[in-house]
Formats: sequence, C-alpha cells, structure tokens
Amino acid sequence: MTDNSLDLRAIQFSGLASRVRRLDASMLLWLLLIAVLGFLILNPVLRLIVSSLQETDTGRFTLANYRTAYGNIRHLQSLLNSLELGVGVALLATCFGVPIAWAISRTDMPGKAFVRLMVFAAFVTPPYLGAIGWILLAGPNSGWLNKVWMAMTGATHGVFNIYSMTGLILVIAVTSFPYAFVFTSSALDLVSSEMEDAANILGARTLRTTLRITLPLVTPAIIGGIIISFLEAIALFGAPALIALPARFNVVSTQLWQFFEYPVRVEEAAAYSMPLLAITVLMFWLQRRILGRRGYTSVTGKGGERRMIALGPWRWVMLGYALIVCALSVFLPMLVLLQAAFAKAWGRGFSLDNLTLHNFYYLLVEQTQAKQTILNTFVYSGVTAFAAISLSLAIAYVVNRKLVPFGNVLAFLCVAPFVVPGIVLAIGFYAAYAPPPLALYGTATILILGFTTRFLPIAYTSSAAGLRSINPEMEEAVRILGGSRLLAIRKVLIPLLKKSLAGAWILVFIPATRELSSAIFLVGPNTRVISVMLFDLSEEGNFEVLSALGVILLVATVAIAAIGSRMIGRDFMLRRNS
Amino acid sequence: MFPVRRRNFILGSSAFLLFGGKNALAQSATAITPHEKELYEAAKKEGGELTWYTAQSDDITAQVLGRSFEQLYPGLKVNVLRTTAQVAYQRVTQEIKASAIQCDVLSSTDLGHSVALKANGAFEKYVPENSSKVLDVYKNYDPDGYYFVTSAGMIGIGYNTSKVKEADAPKDWTDLLDPKWNNNIALGHPGFSGYVGTWALTLRNQYGWDFFEKLAKNNPRVGRSINDTVTMLNAGESAIAGSGPVGTLMESVQKGNPLAMIYPAEGTVLIIAPSSIMKGSKHPSAARLFMEFLLSEAASRIWVEHFNETIRPEVAAPAGAKSAKDVKIIRPTVEQITKGIPEVIKQWRETFGV
Amino acid sequence: MSRLRLTGVSKRYGNFTAVDHIDLELQSGEFVSLLGPSGCGKTTTLRMIAGFVDPTLGTIEMDGQILSSPAGSVPPDRRQMSMIFQSYAIWPNMTVEQNVAFGLELRKLAKAEVRRRVGEMLEVVHMNHLADRYPAELSGGQQQRVALARAIVIRPAVLLLDEPLSNLDATLREEMRFEIRRLHDEFHVTTVYVTHDQAEAMVTSDRIAVMNHGRIEQVDHPRSLYNQPKTRFVAGFIGRTNFIEGVTEGNQISFDGFALPRAAFEHDMPPAGKAVFSVRPHSMRLSDSPPAGGSPSVGVVVVERAFLGEHWDYVVRPREGASPLRVMASPMDDIPVGASAWLEFEPRQMALIA
Repeated sequence: MTDNSLDLRAIQFSGLASRVRRLDASMLLWLLLIAVLGFLILNPVLRLIVSSLQETDTGRFTLANYRTAYGNIRHLQSLLNSLELGVGVALLATCFGVPIAWAISRTDMPGKAFVRLMVFAAFVTPPYLGAIGWILLAGPNSGWLNKVWMAMTGATHGVFNIYSMTGLILVIAVTSFPYAFVFTSSALDLVSSEMEDAANILGARTLRTTLRITLPLVTPAIIGGIIISFLEAIALFGAPALIALPARFNVVSTQLWQFFEYPVRVEEAAAYSMPLLAITVLMFWLQRRILGRRGYTSVTGKGGERRMIALGPWRWVMLGYALIVCALSVFLPMLVLLQAAFAKAWGRGFSLDNLTLHNFYYLLVEQTQAKQTILNTFVYSGVTAFAAISLSLAIAYVVNRKLVPFGNVLAFLCVAPFVVPGIVLAIGFYAAYAPPPLALYGTATILILGFTTRFLPIAYTSSAAGLRSINPEMEEAVRILGGSRLLAIRKVLIPLLKKSLAGAWILVFIPATRELSSAIFLVGPNTRVISVMLFDLSEEGNFEVLSALGVILLVATVAIAAIGSRMIGRDFMLRRNS
Repeated sequence: MFPVRRRNFILGSSAFLLFGGKNALAQSATAITPHEKELYEAAKKEGGELTWYTAQSDDITAQVLGRSFEQLYPGLKVNVLRTTAQVAYQRVTQEIKASAIQCDVLSSTDLGHSVALKANGAFEKYVPENSSKVLDVYKNYDPDGYYFVTSAGMIGIGYNTSKVKEADAPKDWTDLLDPKWNNNIALGHPGFSGYVGTWALTLRNQYGWDFFEKLAKNNPRVGRSINDTVTMLNAGESAIAGSGPVGTLMESVQKGNPLAMIYPAEGTVLIIAPSSIMKGSKHPSAARLFMEFLLSEAASRIWVEHFNETIRPEVAAPAGAKSAKDVKIIRPTVEQITKGIPEVIKQWRETFGV
Repeated sequence: MSRLRLTGVSKRYGNFTAVDHIDLELQSGEFVSLLGPSGCGKTTTLRMIAGFVDPTLGTIEMDGQILSSPAGSVPPDRRQMSMIFQSYAIWPNMTVEQNVAFGLELRKLAKAEVRRRVGEMLEVVHMNHLADRYPAELSGGQQQRVALARAIVIRPAVLLLDEPLSNLDATLREEMRFEIRRLHDEFHVTTVYVTHDQAEAMVTSDRIAVMNHGRIEQVDHPRSLYNQPKTRFVAGFIGRTNFIEGVTEGNQISFDGFALPRAAFEHDMPPAGKAVFSVRPHSMRLSDSPPAGGSPSVGVVVVERAFLGEHWDYVVRPREGASPLRVMASPMDDIPVGASAWLEFEPRQMALIA
C-alpha cells in the first residue's frame, strides 16, 4: 500500500513536472521566434518610425522632418503621382490577368500551356528590364514601334511615347499582371462547374454567367490581385527611375532616393515613407470591408468537378487577347532586348553586320565585377529562399499545431512585412543595422536579412497552406508508435511537404533575383547584385551591355526554375491538376 | 564618300592605338620608380586588392584603366565601380556614416565633393610623386595634398549627323534656345552627374539662370548621367546633346555612330576631376600606388585613347579630336563649385520639375 | 402528348457505354425517379435531359420538340428546365433572396413582380424569415430549400434533381423527402429525380425507373416494382429478398430441400423447367409449431438470428436442404439458434424472376 501511494504521488508529480517543463519549453520557443521576428521586422519598422521623429545627429524629438517632407509642393505631387501610378497599374494588370486566368481555368481556349509559359516569362522579367525593352520599343523618336509607324504612315514623329505616366503604367502592368493571373486562376480552379450550371439552366448564357456568377465568386482573389499590383507599383524604384525621370515627374520611390543624396537624410526619408505604410494598411482594411459577411467558398465543401466551358469560335478571340498581352509583356520587349544584346550599336538595327557576341564577352570576361555580381545574385537569392522557407515553416508548424500560446501573433508578424514597401523596409534596415554596433553596412548579411524579411510573407503563406493540407494524424500515428515529434517531422512531414516547399522556394527565389527597390539601399561594393548593376549600367546608357546582362539574368533564372519545377513535378505557379 | 573614309581612318588609327597601345604598354615595362616599387611590395603584402569608385569615365574606360594597372603590377586586383558622381558620393558618405569604409580611391567629377569631404577629414593625405609632372593647368588644386586632379574632360554640343546638317547645327550655347530644337535636346541631370552639375554652373555664370528657364521651354529629355545624352543621340531619340561629353561622343563616333561635336564659340566647358585616398582605407599602399598610376603617362595615354584630356604633357591628343588647348575654355572656380553645385541642383529641380 | 420523351438515348465515351438505349416517357406533372447504384448512368441521363451532355444516339423531346439529338442540342439555358445539384450550387456571395430571384431577373420581370414571387416562394419553403441571410449562415436543410425555391420559382417545364439529399443526415433526409413531394404536388412540376436510395425513390415517385449498367431494367409504380420485380437485379435492389431456384416436376416445383405444389401458384403459372423466384423475408412466416392454415410450409432449422428491436432477422435452412433463407419475424417470435421451426410460404407473394 505504501508503495502504491508513493507510485501514485510519483506519477502525479512527474505529470506536473513534465507539464511545467512543456510550458517552459513552449514559452521559450515562442520567445525565441518572437525575438527572431522582432529583429527582422519590428525593429527596422520601429526604427523607421522613430527616425522620422528625430532630428539628424542629435536625436531630439521633432516634427520638422514631416514638415520638410510634406511642406514642399513637389513632394506632395510625387505622392499623388504614386497613387495615380498604383491605381493605373492595378486596373490594367487586372484587365490583363483576369480574363486570361478565366480563359485558362474554365474554358477550352487552345494553347494554354504556351500562354502559361509566357505568363511565367513575364513573372520572371524584372520591371526595370521591361522598362528598358519598352524604351527601345517606344522611345518617341527612336523606338522601333514608332519607326515602323513612321515608315508605314510617313509621319514625322512617332505615336507612342513611353516617357509618360501612361507609358510607365503599361511597363509596370505587363510585368506585374502575373500576380493577378495566379491569384485569380487558383481561385477559379476551385469553383465547381455546378455553380455555373445552376445559372446556365436558369437561363443565363456564358458571358452573363461569367460576369454575374463565376467572377463574383472569386472576388477575394481578384481584390487580392488588385492590392498586390497597387502595392508593387507604388514601391517600385527601377522602372520609375528609367521612365519617370526623363518624363519629368517623380514618384515617391524616386523622391526617397533623393533624400539619400548627400547629405544623407534618413530621418526625412523615414518621414516621407510613412504615407506608403499608411496606404498599405488602408488597402488591407478596405479589402476586409469590401468582402464583409459574404462567403465565397463553396459552402458544402463538396465542390464537384470543374469542366471546361466550350466557347466555340470565341476561343480564338480569347487566345488572340492572351497573345496580345503576351506580346506586350514578353515578345516585343524580349525581341528588342535580344537584338540589343547581340548588337554592336543597337540603334543601327537588325542587320547582319550589327551582330556581335562582344557584349557577352565583355561581361563574362573583361568586366571585373560582372561574374561576381551574377554569382552574388543567385547565391543570395538561394540563401534567402532557404532562410525564408525554414523560418516560415517552423513558425507555421508551431502555429498550426498550436504548440505555443498566442500563435496568431507570430503569424501576423510573418505576414506584416507585406505591408511595408520594399524600399521603405530597406531604409528601415539601413537605419537599424547598417551603423555600429552591428555595422552590417555593405555585407552580404544585411542584404540577405533584408530580402528574407521582404519575402517572408510569401514564404509563410505557402508554408502555412502546405501544412494545412496535411492531416496531423499522420504525425500522431508516428508518435503513438513511440517516435518523437522531431522524428515525425523528419520522416513524415517533410517528405509529404517536399513538393509544396520546393514550389514555395521558387516563389521566393525568383522575385529575389529581380529585386531592385530594396537592394539599391543595402548593397555594398562587394555585394552588388545584377539588378543594381543593371541600374548602374543604365545610367550611362550602355544598352547593349545592359541587355546582354539582362538576357543572362533571364536565361539563368528560367533555367533554375525549370530544373526546380521538373524536380517537383508540378507547376509552382499554384496551378491545380488541370 | 570622303567622311566615310575619314571615319575609317579614325577607326583604324584608334584601333591601332587601342590594341597597339595596349601591347606597347604591356611590353614596354614602363620604368617603375623605386618609390613605386616600394609601394608595390607593400601593396602585395596588404592583400593585393583595391576598390576604386570612379565617375570620371564610362564603365569601359574605367575597366581599361583598372586592367592596365593590374598588368603593370601583377598580383594586384582592382575592383572598378563606375557610377555617376552623386551616387559615388552617396555611397562614400554612407560608408563613412556606418564607419565601414570599403572604398580605397575615390575619383569624382565634382570638385565640391572633394572640398566637402576634405573638410570632414574623410581623406588620407598623400602627395604623389607624379603630381608634379602633370600639365600646369592641373596642378595645385589642393596645396594640402588631400586631392589631386587625375582627369579632365570637355563638354560641348553634340548632334546626330543623320538628322541635322552641319549648316543647321547649333554653333553656340544660346542656339539651344531656338524653338526649332523643341523636343529634340538631350541633357543630363546635375543631381546625378558631376559633369552636368559643373556644366550647368558654368552656363549659369555665363548667362544667368534665365538661360535654363528658357531651355526648359524647349522640352529637353533629361536623363541622369552626362553619357545618357550620347545614348539619346545614338538612338535617334534626340538630335542634339545639349550637354555633350567630348570623350564619350568621340568614342561613339569611333564605333561608327553618325555623330559630331561642336566646340561652342563662347566657350567649351572644361571639367576638372579629382581623386583621393579614403581615410580608413584598408589598402593604403595599393591606394597610393594607384594614385601614382592615375597621374602617370600610361594612364594619360588611356585617357587620350578614349577621347578624354591628357593631364601629362608627354602625351599628345588623338588625331581628329581637339584638346583643351585648342579651344576656348570656360570653367568655374573651386569656390564657385563648392557652393554653386548644390544651388544649381535645387534650381534645376524647380525649373525642370525633377 | 407526353411532356418529356427519351427515345433510344445512348451515351458512349470511347469504348465505354455509359447509357445504353434508354426509352422513357413522362406525362405532364409526373414524378419519375431514376434509381440505381453508382455508375449505372442515371446522372449522365439526367445531364443529357438538362442539355449539359449531348447523346451519342437517340433523341430527347419535350412537348413534341426535339431538344437533344446526335446532330445537335438546344443549350441548357433555353430548355425551360430547372435543376437541383448534389452540392445545391447556391451562390455563396448572394443572399437567399438574390439567389432565388436570379432566374426571374433573367426573364426580365419587373422588380416588384420579382420581389412578390420570390416572397411567395420563400413562404412556401418556410424560408421567408431568412431572406437576407447568406448561404454560409444557413444549415444544410435550409440551403436545400433555397435550391428548391430557386428552381421552382421560374415555373420550369421540367424539374431535374441530382441526388439532392445525399449530403443530409438521416432525419433531415426523411423530412426533405416529404418536402420535395409536397412541393411537387403543390406546383405540379414534371420531375425527374436521380437517386441511389430506394427509400427516397419510393416515397417521392409516381414511377421509378431502375437502372443498371446504363440500361433501364424496369419502369413501374413503386408497389409494382416491389411486389413484381421483373429481373433479379430489380428484386435485389429494391428491398431485401431471397432468390430460390426451383425445377418444375409434374405438379410440384422442387426447391432445395423442399417442394411447393404447383396449384398454389394458380395466379401465376410458372412455365415448365427451371424457375427463379424472389421471396421477400417478410412474406414468409416462421413459427415454432406446425402451422394450421392451408399455406404450404416446410420444416427448417434456425442457423443465425439478430434482434433489431422492431423485428427479428432470422436465417433458416430447410431441414432437408442447404440454401439459407432470410426471414423477418416479430419481436415476440423468439426461436433459439439450432432449434427446429416451420416456415410458411405465401406463393402469391413469390415473384417469378426468370
């Protein structure tokens, strides 16, 4: 009896102790993750906000920065220009992306694989490279399109002027519509054809059904696409620098760049970037308001199959539209970029005596930095992708399996960087970590950290989505047989998630390779990446070498992505089996 | 017919200079002074690397200079980072603020930057041996020995010969204000380019800021670097380069582009570009050796091959191009540059909107 | 003239025949079920009637007009039909009222008229108080009612239902069966109802078409189907049954372990030779003492039994035979396993299958 009671107490005690231990361990884990996220996200943003209220060199509290930033009519005009740009891009990108998404996801339009490939090509192309292509195409006096027009109609000057707000909107929209496309088509893939059949049989034909039923069902995705396009447009630096400046207007990002001229006025820059932050938060709040109470997912969950709508002769019309968009975003710019890359002097045009490999030779052999820059780009992007995926997977796991209290705080922090435009985030990082004590200025570390933070939202959303699709009972089966949680993760979870993780890796890798807005503030002389080098080269107008470098970037990125997607065996652009 | 042949002649002779000249460099084993040898040995011990921020030329010329140095001093490596003057300045000041100096030698095109940086104690004092051997006009800009002129260039008016006949081309700065050039002039931006800043300042001194108000009415295409103007001419986007850099333009002509240079009657702008060693540089010996190189005959020969000015008397100007002593020159003083360029940038922004 | 007529309708996918020569006629206002296991082709048939799928062979006519044929079909939006889908397909982004109003708005009715008819319809399905709710806020049964309201409010010529109750739990299913029948009676809509659940079909339908492997095995009123199944499949699919094989020998029919006099089958003279009968478990009586009445009986041994509350399920074997027979007995008839008993037959309830 005495033995039994001792056993009983021992059991009770060890139960209590292990519970306490678990509590400690989970608290520690939570604290650790919060510390990492705080370092990456909270600190830079807070430093930014604090800087905006500080006087340069003394650190005293002041509102003078806001006055300087907004007291100037030109600065205000830049803000308005940014808004105009954002709205224009959002609308145009939606017009490009949504119809194509609908055609591919729900109709029998031919040539789907080809169109998808072109959308991917547009996704891989950095906006500033697209801008250069379009300058070569639509420079008012020298662009190829204008030359063709002048030759055909005998006009004295061209009809397209890329150096305008319209031109800038077009250039950005053609490289950012893939976001609208991916969001909309993923959502459309989930809509059961029965939804459309129900409208059909009540008397609605294809167009009416699409406009009143199908597209409204994916409103959240469409709005998501609009918001992303808007945010990307207002935060971009490269394309506006190339097009807006010669067009004689500024946007917020180019204006911010000026605050970094001598003397460096981080505090004013911080004050000036606050509206960007505010606008982004506003956008997300608006999204929530618009979507409101209505549900959007198929309520019974039993979605039913998805059948392609037969469009008859209209499918050629849809294909035509898709090809026009592809021409604007891929064929035309790529054509001129290739021509310039292999030209001695691109202005001399398409002639055999204008062909040369010298530009590539110059980059890969003579120019001392190009090789290192190219290597840097892919190494940093790869490391960023790994870091972002690892961190976000760990957090997603911890949150999804409810291992720590207040998991949604962690989740929120992971997605928060979305709200901060890249250029602003970079300034925040610069303010927080470039000077001593960490003195990370010019190191690869600050660049990778900045990129990781910037792409954490994408990584987290993908990881969380992948994790949600895995039934926790898989791991529980391992544990009840005696395996530890880590073993379950290693042997069951990771293999199941492999494809999803590889897809997420590519989704981070590709934007990282083309990122300019945040890189431009964080690179040092030894850590230059291709995007910055392209920008520097564009300053002296050496379009031939610049195009060659752009071609190298695109070819290498596509090759890596192609290898990656072959390995994971599915389209990482989140397409379902179609 | 004739212009074609002349162009071929220039092409041929320049090609010879480029290739022949380079070989001559490699083979001549230019006599290295004992001082230079000492620096060379020390540089090798430092790690043999050097980071050079330069705005004084385009990327190609800068690369040639870097490689030439490497050939002269095997075992040393030069990281050439070519940007516009403002960008270089921005990066250097960021490094200073972060106490993480990466740049060893700074070659700017804005004397004002050098004055300001010297005042902030950002430079290392070093008087190169070669500094006494340059042309007189380039000597003694800083008696204290913190910065030295290592490059010079001229700015005139460039035009595209296939769009503009020689007779119709502007002969002087004020001709740019003629409404017939509406939408057809390319300019750089003083907020980016040191060359353009000095050019704008010089013309302001000459004609008052009113000149630019009127110029703005002709709707010029404003780029960033002064070399952007040559790109615009090459592309056929603009017919006139209002701030046309002689060096880049003549190089472009050599490549076969239909361009020509005007040296305005009322004065061609001369840009004096200084170089310095950064204080806190991790490769001081290499930096010193590089300064010697920049002031050497070898470097001047390279400058001249790329249609810049020579700063050494021993080196002659290239055939077919004029040099500073052949034309009327206008330029601002150092004090004017220091104070004036920031003013000009501000005025420019107000007038041109960007 | 029949309302809806299918003549020789077939659907082939490559080598696979999903629907094989279906002939079916519906009178106006009739409620006909297509009943069968999954894969029997009932949903494909329904979709052909709706116009979502074209037949490979045969025609579908409504009121004498050809709707579907291999040559071409009237599209679903012009057939004046309505359909309830398995998933209800209620649009989640619209309120109940908007969902129901959709079809009326398409017919360009005046707003006031639309609101009136929607209100009436919602009243009929008892959903009036939920008119402003979104589907996500409704229960399964309520969504089902919305689907019905939406389909019926436009007064369709034919109403099609595709397993509408399969997502509901048992009690709700029972309730909704009656609802559907009630609505049918109220509006006299010609209805085609697809299901695999025989109880549903029995409760709701005027006639049932039992399908198997793409063919209709039998079309009949529920009672006739149950009591006079024409094929083995129908007998086994509708309710439970025993199949016993007998051989005609003189004036009796010999089964395994027992024989029944031919005279007892006076109403249904079996032909000479082999015959298969379907005998329902409840059409036989089990008792522990020899029966007194004139019905033929046989001695059996109890092999298995299960008590289901409302009745006993017995499995017995003729004392001189081996084939087991299922018998249903009242809860009071408690005969232990292994005991002997008597099984009384009711030959009028034995259906001749083949």
